[in-house]
Amino acid sequence: MKSKLCRLFLFFSDQIPKARCTGIKVSCLFFSFLLLNCGFSPVLLANVATTADIDQNVKGIVKDKDGKPLEGATVTIKGTSVGTQTDRYGEFTFPNLEKGSVLVVTYTGYLAQEIKLADQTKIEIILQEDPAALEEVVVVAFGQQKRTDMVGSVTQVKPENLRIPSSNLTTALAGQAAGIIAYQRSGEPGMDNADFFIRGVTSFGTGKVDPLILIDGVEVGVTEMARLRPDDIESFTIMKDATSTALYGARGANGVIYVTTKQGKEGPASISFRSEASYSAPTRNVELADPITYMNLYNDALQSRSPLERPYFTREYIDATEEGNYPILFPQVDWREELFKTHTINHRHNLNIRGGGKVARYYVAGSYAQDNGLLKVDPVNNFNNNIDLKSYTLRANVNVDVTKSTELIVRLNGIFDDYNGPIEGGKSLFEKVVRSSPVEFLPTYPKDADHEYVQHIMFGRPGDAERSFINPYADMVSGYRDYTRSVMMAQMELKQDLGFITPGLRFRSMFNTNRTSRFEIRRSYNPFYYGITSSDRRTGDYTLEVFNESSGTEYLDYNVPGGDGVRVQNSIFYMESAIDYSRVFNDKHSVSGLLVNIIRSSIDAHATNLQVSLPSRNVGVSGRGTYSYDSRYYAEFNFGYNGSERFHESHRFGFFPSFGLAWSVSNEKFWEPWKEKIHNFRVRGTYGLVGNDQIGSATDRFFYISEVDMSSGGRSYTFGQQSRRTLSGINVRRYANPGITWETAYKKNLAVELGLFNKVEIQADFFSEIRKNILMNRADIPTTMGLTADVSANVGEVSGQGMDMSVDFSHSFNNQMWLQARGNFTYATNKYRVYEEPTYDKEWWKSRIGQPLNQPRGYLAERLFIDDDEVQNSPFQDFTGQPNIAGDIKYKDNNNAGSINSLDEVPIGFPTVPQIIYGVGFSFGWKALDLSAFFQGSAYSSFFVDPVAVQPFVDGKQILQAFADDHFSLNNPDVYALWPRLSINNHNNNVVRSTWWLHNGDFLRLKQAEIGFSLPENMRRRLHAKTARFYVSGTNLFNLSHFKLWDSEMGGDGLGYPLQRVFNLGINVTF
Amino acid sequence: MKYLKTTIIACIIAVSVGCNKWIDVVPDNVASLEYAFRMRSTAERYMAGCYSYIPNFGSMYYNPGLYGADEFWLSSDKATWTNWNIARGQQSVSSPLINYWTGGSGGTDLWEAISECNIFLEHIGIVPDMDNYEKRQWAAEVKFLKAYYHFLLLRSYGPIPIMRENIPISASGEEVRVFRRPVDEVFEYIVELITEAEEDLPLQLMNENSEYGRITLPIALGYKAKILTYAASPLFNGNSTYANFANHDGTVLFNIEYSEEKWKQAVDALEQAIMVAHLQGYQLYEFPLNQQTQNIPDSLHLGLTNRGTVTDQWNREIIWGHNSSTTQLQTWIQPKALSEEQRVYSTPNGSTGVPLKIASLFYTENGVPIDEDRTWDYNNRYGLKVAEFEDRYYIKQGETTVAFNFDREPRFYGSLGFDRGIWYGQGNFNQEEPYWLRLMIGEFGGKQQAGWHSVTGYYAKKLVHYTNSNSANSTYNAVNYPWVILRLGDLYLLYAEALNELNGPTAEVYDYLDRIRSKAGLLGVLDAWQGFSRIPDKPQTKEGLREIIQRERAIDMAFEGERFWDLRRWRTAPDELNQPITGWDVDQNNTIGFYRERVLFDQQFRVKDYFWPIQQQDLIVNKNLVQNPGW
Repeated sequence: MKSKLCRLFLFFSDQIPKARCTGIKVSCLFFSFLLLNCGFSPVLLANVATTADIDQNVKGIVKDKDGKPLEGATVTIKGTSVGTQTDRYGEFTFPNLEKGSVLVVTYTGYLAQEIKLADQTKIEIILQEDPAALEEVVVVAFGQQKRTDMVGSVTQVKPENLRIPSSNLTTALAGQAAGIIAYQRSGEPGMDNADFFIRGVTSFGTGKVDPLILIDGVEVGVTEMARLRPDDIESFTIMKDATSTALYGARGANGVIYVTTKQGKEGPASISFRSEASYSAPTRNVELADPITYMNLYNDALQSRSPLERPYFTREYIDATEEGNYPILFPQVDWREELFKTHTINHRHNLNIRGGGKVARYYVAGSYAQDNGLLKVDPVNNFNNNIDLKSYTLRANVNVDVTKSTELIVRLNGIFDDYNGPIEGGKSLFEKVVRSSPVEFLPTYPKDADHEYVQHIMFGRPGDAERSFINPYADMVSGYRDYTRSVMMAQMELKQDLGFITPGLRFRSMFNTNRTSRFEIRRSYNPFYYGITSSDRRTGDYTLEVFNESSGTEYLDYNVPGGDGVRVQNSIFYMESAIDYSRVFNDKHSVSGLLVNIIRSSIDAHATNLQVSLPSRNVGVSGRGTYSYDSRYYAEFNFGYNGSERFHESHRFGFFPSFGLAWSVSNEKFWEPWKEKIHNFRVRGTYGLVGNDQIGSATDRFFYISEVDMSSGGRSYTFGQQSRRTLSGINVRRYANPGITWETAYKKNLAVELGLFNKVEIQADFFSEIRKNILMNRADIPTTMGLTADVSANVGEVSGQGMDMSVDFSHSFNNQMWLQARGNFTYATNKYRVYEEPTYDKEWWKSRIGQPLNQPRGYLAERLFIDDDEVQNSPFQDFTGQPNIAGDIKYKDNNNAGSINSLDEVPIGFPTVPQIIYGVGFSFGWKALDLSAFFQGSAYSSFFVDPVAVQPFVDGKQILQAFADDHFSLNNPDVYALWPRLSINNHNNNVVRSTWWLHNGDFLRLKQAEIGFSLPENMRRRLHAKTARFYVSGTNLFNLSHFKLWDSEMGGDGLGYPLQRVFNLGINVTF
Repeated sequence: MKYLKTTIIACIIAVSVGCNKWIDVVPDNVASLEYAFRMRSTAERYMAGCYSYIPNFGSMYYNPGLYGADEFWLSSDKATWTNWNIARGQQSVSSPLINYWTGGSGGTDLWEAISECNIFLEHIGIVPDMDNYEKRQWAAEVKFLKAYYHFLLLRSYGPIPIMRENIPISASGEEVRVFRRPVDEVFEYIVELITEAEEDLPLQLMNENSEYGRITLPIALGYKAKILTYAASPLFNGNSTYANFANHDGTVLFNIEYSEEKWKQAVDALEQAIMVAHLQGYQLYEFPLNQQTQNIPDSLHLGLTNRGTVTDQWNREIIWGHNSSTTQLQTWIQPKALSEEQRVYSTPNGSTGVPLKIASLFYTENGVPIDEDRTWDYNNRYGLKVAEFEDRYYIKQGETTVAFNFDREPRFYGSLGFDRGIWYGQGNFNQEEPYWLRLMIGEFGGKQQAGWHSVTGYYAKKLVHYTNSNSANSTYNAVNYPWVILRLGDLYLLYAEALNELNGPTAEVYDYLDRIRSKAGLLGVLDAWQGFSRIPDKPQTKEGLREIIQRERAIDMAFEGERFWDLRRWRTAPDELNQPITGWDVDQNNTIGFYRERVLFDQQFRVKDYFWPIQQQDLIVNKNLVQNPGW
């Protein structure tokens, strides 16, 4: 099978450069790719390519006027579509050229050049810059603008910077772009989307706070963006201020991420292939104490609060365990080792083909990625319970020139995830490691003489213990789940040049539909649990007995869960039509205008109630007008007029205007003297409004009508005797409030751009925002009103401010050496301006006003109590539970009331969302070698270690090594010990939120490093490849932070699936 | 080409025309509150919602009366049980336990309950397809519930705001900030509301099989009488502790004047309630013998009568029951093992212990307190004794246990399980070879780990239905009996109490007291004291009789969740709840070690513990509310 496929591929790889590429061939090739991608390896490709033969050539090199080679310039023979592209060194080779043929060389941003061939076999072509296209083009809302004309605040990220060895694009965002606050809390395949916000969070409550994501103009979810392959991305843009987002009035308030995918290019087919394999392992594991320490400390914990209790683990038991003669009777279990492997191998493959003729151009790409989890699989089961996430993407963008002035674009995109994994997910299993007793039973017992005929795995778990033990191994291997998620996106866009009406007028219309489907199937059996019922400590004999003979099963059962997010069927229709106009009058007055109409409708099949089942809809008209004079003075006006189905008729539409001004100082006459040194100096400012209709939780729509649960289980009551009759009650879940309307952001932005020595580009934006009409619950309604639901209103206000800046440096040395460096920095802070809360007369610190959002609040832990007398003589700490003793946490009595209660809680630490995110990186190249490294950091954030999650012994939890080493005890009466006095039960006093558990979330990590080697020309020739590069890269290579228990980027989720350190091997070949 | 251009221009115009209708997605008939009262069936369900706020008294987590006083004690690993934390003095202002004011920590949100009742009462009139009489009946039921919820709040918090009608959501801040009202006014309102409901309530339910639990006239009359007895009790009648307890505007919340009239009202109401209950056929319970139990001796029969009063579902003594699940409660009460086989695989965990002081309350076999009985060796009560042949239905013959357990009244053996004590039923109905408990370390019923056994060595057998079986591995089949909220015996005891308070010892008082005693197999109160007590004249004084009535109530209604409230109502809590909680030393494996009294907890009752604290946050939101004294 494999060899046949090789031949098939050989056929195509041979044919394509020569043949005129047709759509059919392309799709054939793509089909072969799909067949191949499972068993295909880069080595195979190399073998195939060496067999191709080489003819007489014409060699050429394409350079710019400074002599710098141009990579990717298109060289075609005039009158045909036969052509090629230049490689990394600007070189191209043409086989078998007739004398007298004319070569056409084109390159974006340069004027096309024609060369008639004489006898020469080596030619050098120097392209002249096209003054019109010289400027970098930036994607803006519903269009494009020249970088130099920008008034709004927009950051463009180079797609190659987003290329990290991960199949999740969101994990690459942190530190890559000025203005993005991002962090990743989990490393679990399929659950590892990073959280990201543009310029921080400026709203609170349950509504949407993360940015609007658009791919090719269409709103998509985070997962769709996560599955994008950097190779397919043409541009990645972040829109931050009012001017750049106002056109998305309905949903732009939290900023916009706009991605466009690559389109076809006129020229011969260019095939690019990338393949990566990576080694992935946790950046850090949580250290647990060994079983002997566990038992000793358990006894200490028991007796610290009940001194009369007998030790739970007797001396003999501990000694016998330590001796280890009878590991079945006296087990010592390392649950992490039982459950997880130390590392896993993942791989990713991408293939794309790009080309086209005069009439049609295409870009077709497919990718495949497989991410494996760290879970072990029991050989007795013949199914795989490890995480295995396969994701496939398929993209076809085709542009057709229907007439000279009409262009039709069809984009098809499919994203498919096939997941196989444990029933309850990796996070929960990692957390269970900490919750499982290391000494009382084994994960599985070997078959003994009494159980010779048992067919199932004999899982361990005592059935009669009063402590509720769990056996995570049984939970892990007793079943598996599959889910399948597919997103199909079909898009048609029509562009019409209306120059015949008036020059510069264009029209375009786009229709798009997205269909998402996700379903899940779980298959599992009920494990049989065994325990030792009697044993002889001298001989090691024991009897095993099954505890749940009636409920265990040997056969698999299945279920198809239907909960929220588990089963998704969703259809989104979107349409936009726009007229735009742009023209330059008298070479000085540049005018443009845009008017766009949008309609969007989304409907979900898996609705939980009638109101949620209704479609979500938006309509809107947006517009833009720009004027610039002489490339020096710029003005721009934008507006969005949007309607949302969620609000009452009278508040349904919102108008969101914005305007901006810019001044290119360096284009002024008087700047001439400094132009050499400071080639660009520009200031710009914008002000405007943007809206957000996604307020409240997703299930809480239509605030203007009430929501009544006509059959509420919580309100049910049972009457009757033998055949009891249960009537479910009626419950108001929301009270109608027709006044609820848009959340509105008032944004200001002021920016300075500076270009130095033609090498350094600096851009700094200072922004501030006031978010008004934030939906929140009314706080002044006493409980005596007896309302069954909270009453909410648009009363909250938040202000936010900060700055983001980026510095880019690039320099080419003479001897084929180049260096690029970049850095960016984002600082975003915010505070409540209006927050409805009761009047705090005395306890002013309870008020949120003036405090940042996500501000942790808690008690001020002073230290631990020295002794029991001090407990008696200190203010009473009012936390229900057992009385405090020496070594429990002592809190500060802020209001001097003589007791510690909720009035003493104060804001503590930094907000949980980092206020500063920064990144610094460089790339360096010398001949065929290139090297890059990127550091990313986060600062000004705090997080709580959840003491309930880590507290030793409670609910069978283990004790972390750090706590075993450093806790208060009578032998170690350290009042600043890491862990207070041990307890076998939850001790409320010690687990309330306080400064004791608050940690600094700052970190700096080597996020990415890469070394690449590009094959020299002679070897590439043999491969028929235009470029070929091998590289080794790694992510999360090291981390500096104050916090030592786990990777601090995970914040409070540290016991979950750890972040991954990845070492990666890749190859990228272009034909 | 021209055609194309025209088409394109037409398209531009077509798509640019936005349509407002497009976003009007809500259809007309989306359910709103009005839909609840469009039909009889939905209105009935709304009424069920009003019932649903009756606290789940049959659950160990929701009934402060069960674990909140001194009747039950748990091992220290149950520190999360909110109601037990009340007993341990952990009630708090920041997060009150059993919070009836805002809901949470085991308490239902009773203000919400009242608001729901008000909505029902406002709307029931508009239901089109109902007869008027039925509307009036339903309204009367809900009025009773509204009064009942006010009473539950009053009982827990003392003076409370009265929510006669709902305040609209749009009301201004000042209107919604209600004040607490004086206790007398609240009682008056509650009684008035029940009286108003009485005329429309049915004497009995037409269809008990599907309606049991609905409010009837006997329930309303009985509960009203109970409420009036509360109003007359020392906590609310002439209590000067709260003389200075007033709202910010000066309204005094407790009337410090004693009023005999309050007892008069209670007596009248009780008289009427008992009369109507008798007319409807309610009578004191007696265990009906069946084919399994037909041969049991009187002693076991009396024990089963004691157990069955609560656990025999829908028996004729129960006036009002709540259909919540009691199976979970029973698994926490029934001992883990009644035999060697049940030692390992067993669902019941029997974590509920009964302190020695409660076991001491039960009379001797002569019907007088253990420290008064001339024939019972009180001083040697902690000595050991071997069970003889005549003890065999109570204590396993030939086994040694503490003298304390010998020669007690039948209710002692019916209500309590103890080491070496007979445990009849639970799948073993052979009266000659019944189950008996072995609770010392190493024995099947002994402590294995910190929890899962009685920390005192006594079990509350009374609450375990005698047929519950621990049949197969990890399966416990329990009879899910409804929790008793009001029973006839309760009314008798209240009546005796109220009559004594009003008129002192009279024949009528003795009569009602003796009915309870005779059900328990005891001599009448006068005969018993004359015959056996060291204080034979005790029943003849008002104070002496009061003490006897209170003790009788504590014994007869043990574990029914009443003692918690009675001790507060009588203001005897500072005496009763300031004693150490003790039990046998269950960590021992021999008789001598086991039967040593061991202190488990030094219980404290402070003056502030009479009433719940209001959550701090509520006082901040409503500045017109004052906190209860001491909190």
